[in-house]
Amino acid sequence: MAQQILNLETIENTVRDERHAPGFFRRLARSRTALVSLTFIIAIMLAALIGPLIYGVDPTHTDFTSINAPPSLAHPFGTDRLGHDTLARLFAALRVSLLVAAVVETINILVGAPLGLLAGYFGGGIDILISRLADMFFAFPGLLLAILVAAVFGQAVTEQYGSTARLVLVAGSLSLVGWPLMARYVRGQVLSLRERDFVLAARAIGQSQRGILQRHILPNVAGLVITAATLDVVNAIVGEATLSLLGLGIQAPATSIGKMIVEATPFLAQNPFLVFVPSITLTLLVLAFSFLGDGMRRAFDPTGR
Amino acid sequence: MLRFFTRRGISMVFVLFSLTFLTFMIGHLAPGDPILVLMGPRQDTETYAHLRHLYGLDQPLLTQYINYVALLVRGDFGLSFSYEGRTVRELIAQGLPISFGVGGLALLVSLIVGVPLGMFAALRDGTLADRGLVALALGLYSIPSFVLIPLIWMANLAIFRAGYPNLPQAGWGTPSHIVLPVLVLAAANVGYITQLTRASMLEVLRDDYVRTARAKGLLERTVIVRHVLRNALLPLITLLGPTTAFLVTGAFVVEVLFNIPGIGRIAVEAVGRRDYPVIQGTTVILGIAVVIMNLISDLLYHVFDPRIQLTE
Repeated sequence: MAQQILNLETIENTVRDERHAPGFFRRLARSRTALVSLTFIIAIMLAALIGPLIYGVDPTHTDFTSINAPPSLAHPFGTDRLGHDTLARLFAALRVSLLVAAVVETINILVGAPLGLLAGYFGGGIDILISRLADMFFAFPGLLLAILVAAVFGQAVTEQYGSTARLVLVAGSLSLVGWPLMARYVRGQVLSLRERDFVLAARAIGQSQRGILQRHILPNVAGLVITAATLDVVNAIVGEATLSLLGLGIQAPATSIGKMIVEATPFLAQNPFLVFVPSITLTLLVLAFSFLGDGMRRAFDPTGR
Repeated sequence: MLRFFTRRGISMVFVLFSLTFLTFMIGHLAPGDPILVLMGPRQDTETYAHLRHLYGLDQPLLTQYINYVALLVRGDFGLSFSYEGRTVRELIAQGLPISFGVGGLALLVSLIVGVPLGMFAALRDGTLADRGLVALALGLYSIPSFVLIPLIWMANLAIFRAGYPNLPQAGWGTPSHIVLPVLVLAAANVGYITQLTRASMLEVLRDDYVRTARAKGLLERTVIVRHVLRNALLPLITLLGPTTAFLVTGAFVVEVLFNIPGIGRIAVEAVGRRDYPVIQGTTVILGIAVVIMNLISDLLYHVFDPRIQLTE
């Protein structure tokens, strides 16, 4: 040990070993449920993207010969009260729901992670400022803030900017309540990373603050961010569905999984299939993302439970 | 102790400030004019100016906010925009007991069902029963309430069609109206509590003092009741805060779908009618409820386990 020459190369090599990436996928693969969930999610995403092309039925096409029909050869999942094919609508709904979830998580990551990083690394005044800001949003129980924002600005946004803007608004309002949690996780991780040997070593050899943040802290936080985002997808999907329940989510003619369920519920007695198809899809999605996120969490912390 | 309460007090004030400030700003930056909505078909400038003055909307934003907080501290939540003439306080007072009743009952039911199930699962760790229960708990926890509600409605309908006495699908008034909403609210909670109790008990069962108790020759039952239970159930107390927050959000969906005149439904309707005083009032009340529950759970935790430090 005493013979080791301390140069930049040696230290860089030590630092590189601290990254989780190499062992991560192996550990993730050990959990069967996580793998099954991942496969399911990828399958669903492919279905949402390619499905409409293969299946070819227009979700807005009304088939008056079968209203509220149970599954048949022509309509594998049945039809709704206006004669729309349920399977086609399901594809469209999946696209929207997954897109909303993706946007929510992107905003969460782009806003929450850097803020948490700054707060955790620099501490002091910046930390207090950012933490208080996060707490302000955290103060709202559950989806209250999202409901408020979506309700207040929803109509005007849709009228002025169209339904894509509405989607962004819905995603934005959901991420308003989601980013503080992400920031908090990242901050906690950075706080513990800050005192680790490889960071102290990097500082000792004179690496710049920015360099440390970029090359040492960030890669080690990335894993936590992705895991937290995966687990939060569940909240995003259910949150969007709750907003749709209150009429504040995606507006017609677009549809989302939550909207499908909500619209179908009044017709429960006549056409139970219409409710159960999106409901089961939603539940499966929730389970899949939960298991995947859980598997990721355990893969990142080999010492954990 | 005093330090704890001072810090908590400051943090509570900050939370309330955030709630009122953000809600206020969002409400007042909103497009649309609530006075116009309130006036309806009668559109004349005199009434408009008068109403504007009555609601204090002709003053600068910050002044409005300060006035609002000043009144709030005295318990005056202002007048409702859409329910002509009624005070927000009145509306909240109407809905709050109902929501608390349903929520409290749901919490009780979920504890009564969840804790024994969790204990049962922990004691039979690894067996089919245990794994079945874990799967059931996970299922209950994952199903969103608006998925569970149609399921329950279907079951209820089937019971009705089979000729057996059934529960009302929705509405409010008789004791039987409470059953389904409480069931739905409790369901997800049961999943969570079962998982938590099971995990907590498993941890405790591995502890040294349990081995000692067994080595002493005590009956398994005595070991469980006197040593394991007390320590395993402790983490449940920390649940009070987050559970209240969850019940608050759950209340929205349940009250809207079951048509229950609780504070959740009032808030939702107010949101639809752009009734900002009501929205602000309900947000503040619900926020206060969550904060108080967090405080109680922290205090209780300290009471039951003095090792836990109160100061953060």
